Amino acid sequence: MVPITHYLVLAAVLFMIGMFGVMVRRNALVVFMCVELMLNAANLTFLAFARQRGDDLGHVNAFFVIAVAAAEAAIGLAVVIAIFRSRGSVQIQDIRTMKH
Amino acid sequence: MSVPDVLFYIFAVCLVGAAGMVVASRNPINAAMSLVAAFFFLAGIYVLLWAHTIAVLQVLVYAGAVMVLFLFVIMLLSLSERGPRSPITVGRILGGAAALGLGVVICIVVLKLDGSAATLTGAQAMRFGTIARMGELIYGTYLFPFEAVSLLLLAAIVGAVVVAKSRI
Amino acid sequence: MESIQHFFMTSPFDADSVRHALWLIIALPALGALINGVFGRWLGRANSNLIATAAVGGSFVLALLTFWHINDWNQVFTTPFDTRPIRYAVGMDHGTWFSAGDFIVHFGLRVDHLSGTLLLVITGVGTLIHLYSTEYMSHDAGYWRYFAYLNLFVAMMLTLVMADNLLLLFVGWEGVGLCSYLLIGFWYSDPAKAWAGRKAFITNRVGDFAFLIATFLTCLVMWSFVKQANVDNFGNVTAQQAFATGLREKGPVDFSGLEALARALPVDPGHAPTGTPAVTLQTEIAQGPLSGITYGTVLTAILLLFLLGAAGKSAQLPLYVWLPDAMAGPTPVSALIHAATMVTAGVYLFCRMSFLLVLSPTAMAFVAVVGALTALFAAVIAFAQDDIKKVLAYSTVSQLGFMFMAVGVGAFWAAILHLVTHAFFKACLFLGAGSVMHGNADETDIKKLGGVKRKMKVTYVTFTIATAAITGAIPLSGFFSKDAILHAVHGTTLAGHEAITHLVWILGLLAAAGTAFYMTRVWFLTFQGDRAADARIPEEKVHESGWAMTVPLVLLAALSVLAIGYGIPLMSAGEHGREPVMENFLRPIFATAESITSAQATVAVSHEGSLAFSWILAFVIAWVATGAAIFAYTRFFPSRAGQPAPAFAKRFQTWTRDKFYVDELYDLVIIKPIRGLASLLFRVVDAVVIDTLAVRGTAWVTARVGSVLRYFQTGDTQSYAAVMALALLGGVAWALVQVLK
Repeated sequence: MVPITHYLVLAAVLFMIGMFGVMVRRNALVVFMCVELMLNAANLTFLAFARQRGDDLGHVNAFFVIAVAAAEAAIGLAVVIAIFRSRGSVQIQDIRTMKH
Repeated sequence: MSVPDVLFYIFAVCLVGAAGMVVASRNPINAAMSLVAAFFFLAGIYVLLWAHTIAVLQVLVYAGAVMVLFLFVIMLLSLSERGPRSPITVGRILGGAAALGLGVVICIVVLKLDGSAATLTGAQAMRFGTIARMGELIYGTYLFPFEAVSLLLLAAIVGAVVVAKSRI
Repeated sequence: MESIQHFFMTSPFDADSVRHALWLIIALPALGALINGVFGRWLGRANSNLIATAAVGGSFVLALLTFWHINDWNQVFTTPFDTRPIRYAVGMDHGTWFSAGDFIVHFGLRVDHLSGTLLLVITGVGTLIHLYSTEYMSHDAGYWRYFAYLNLFVAMMLTLVMADNLLLLFVGWEGVGLCSYLLIGFWYSDPAKAWAGRKAFITNRVGDFAFLIATFLTCLVMWSFVKQANVDNFGNVTAQQAFATGLREKGPVDFSGLEALARALPVDPGHAPTGTPAVTLQTEIAQGPLSGITYGTVLTAILLLFLLGAAGKSAQLPLYVWLPDAMAGPTPVSALIHAATMVTAGVYLFCRMSFLLVLSPTAMAFVAVVGALTALFAAVIAFAQDDIKKVLAYSTVSQLGFMFMAVGVGAFWAAILHLVTHAFFKACLFLGAGSVMHGNADETDIKKLGGVKRKMKVTYVTFTIATAAITGAIPLSGFFSKDAILHAVHGTTLAGHEAITHLVWILGLLAAAGTAFYMTRVWFLTFQGDRAADARIPEEKVHESGWAMTVPLVLLAALSVLAIGYGIPLMSAGEHGREPVMENFLRPIFATAESITSAQATVAVSHEGSLAFSWILAFVIAWVATGAAIFAYTRFFPSRAGQPAPAFAKRFQTWTRDKFYVDELYDLVIIKPIRGLASLLFRVVDAVVIDTLAVRGTAWVTARVGSVLRYFQTGDTQSYAAVMALALLGGVAWALVQVLK
């Protein structure tokens, strides 16, 4: 039996990779994919702890995270399309309206 | 080492590899395909954690719906060619370093935890993570959050249409 | 005879259906207000009139049926506070309105003989005044707004009367205050009228504040009492448990609970057989914010605060100043709100809580003296007012003073009798005044009228009947009700304040004489004699009002006469001979108060004084004053007789016309200092501290900091994310270090 800590370490590594991508990548779509990775890392943590405690409430949480992630992806991609329409680019460095 | 243990390590290595590809590949299509792979490996790990239902949902929702959405947008915006090489800024370096540091810190914390899994007996083990059990929880105790989430999805659908459409 | 009595004293309805329909009495006018307020603009004048009048009319019908229902001895009202049911009543508890810990308030309605009487007056007079208004407001563009407010007023007044607890009563209390404000300032484009509305509202706030404090104190007393009282207070264990249950279920502001408290409080201290002595008025409250103060003292304080609250709403000294200014509103409003119903709320409040009032002779003395002083003071001011509505307003203040006098000596039934008869004749007078104004191009100055009787026959006759009723020159309803009050005052002694009732009686007689004088003056100057030279329109153009205005006048005049029936001693009262119908009718309501007074001997009622003597005295006084007025105005009034009035009369007139400079006094003592303080605060606190230091200082600091921070504002999302990540890393690392340590 693999110790639960290994699952948790795997989740941490996944989260780290996702966060790294969010911090470094410039393509807004890829940034979104990395956000999905981070959400999945969180899900993995929920499930790992559910297994450790023998309590499947964590599964319910993971279920809701998936639902929220789906909503987030839909809205986020819609925003990307809208930005691409108005600016012709999905590069984050081109979108600097937060400065104003 | 039993079969599931071996499977875990295979899945884990592949998962990290696929996730790394998502971040590293310069072509968005490649990134998306790597992400699909990562989701499948993750679903395998979920099964090892006895989370059968979530594993199925993972494949259906993420690898199915969400990824199709991503690919669709990439095609729509014709982003298949390699993006421009972007300048390296202080912000990016700091951000990347912070992400790595956070990962290390979390690993340190996690390794201090007790790693043993709960021993589940007979009926409990049979029910853990099954669709029946999930249905009881979601449609029973957590009915209200469930309905709220369905409303949220509805709002997201409407919002996505409003935001993405140029003229309504 | 027997069968008629049986017919009217047997309810034709099922008790449950009446209970469940009680809320409709309030809901109908409220619905009317909603429809007129929201859709009135598009409804058209006729529809708006119809909806408003029908809503109140329907409410009147329901009130009549309810009244019939509660005439039945078998109809009972049960409350958890009391093991015995209350006869001649019906109540409906719609459950908890809100609760906060022990503080529970129910939405409960209750109709008994007291509230039933008022229900009929409110909806009956209200319907007539709505009918009258349809013509009176026929030239006003804001008619729908007017009817919405008027309907809302009726709904609120009914809430006030039907409430079975203090807090729901307070809802109605505030609601009628709001409607009063809206209707006084109905023609808000005229600043003077808008100000009159504000004056009424703000003056009422003073009283409302006292009302609230009194309510809170009442809750504290209830909670202390239930902890401290023992079985001797209640007589038996069942009653004690019932009280505790009631308090837990219905909360501390329920009227039945207060009644149970009043019944349980005054026990003889020597009565306790064993253990701790029972709680009496002299017992100190053991714990809570009031600890160390005796129940009697707190109760007196509560009642005096309620007196201040009632003084605000019922225009008694020292808060009467808003009522004369309230005449800025449309005349039917003055008739309904500022004569017949709302201003009597204070009297109703004390009658509803008669059992508490009789526990404190001090508070009773205060109420009686305030009433008597107000009655006389307002009557004297009314001598020299030239505005017909102002005279009637001061007259209302004065008559309310009479009602307070009655309440103060424990003659609650007489107060209610006067309330009812006053509602009839004063509404008739106001509507008559409105009719006079309507037919004379809105002229309100009685010196510029005169001779109106020749053109406005119906108005003249009804106004004359109502005048006779209020002066008592002819024994109509007002004669009997006012005399019932004076007779009760004369025959009652308050323990510890023996001289008070004699003083109140003399003041009351003087006020009665004053009433006869000023009312005769108004009647004489308006209707008799020749047309004034400086009248706004010549006599030929004066016209009688239409049927919608005259029908209510006739009905109200008829009621002023018919109400005699309530005041005449017809009912058998055992050894004391016969008693007036109203006293007999209201006996179930005031039974608790009566038993307390007889047990406590706080209020001694002597039946020695002969009623005939009181009647003759009242009759003589009315005629002397009426004669004096007629003599004075045929002889001395400048435009009629051409002779100047004597100098003392002139000086007296100046003083009274200027209302004894009370408004100016309030201006000097209260308003000017507040203005001064406000301008000081404006100059020092606002200009220097807030504007310069706080506002501009903040802006300056923000601008400086912002100009520095601008360099960090790159607009690059990932830089911001990096900062977040670094902060997160720092936080987690620090936490980790702390844990590892």
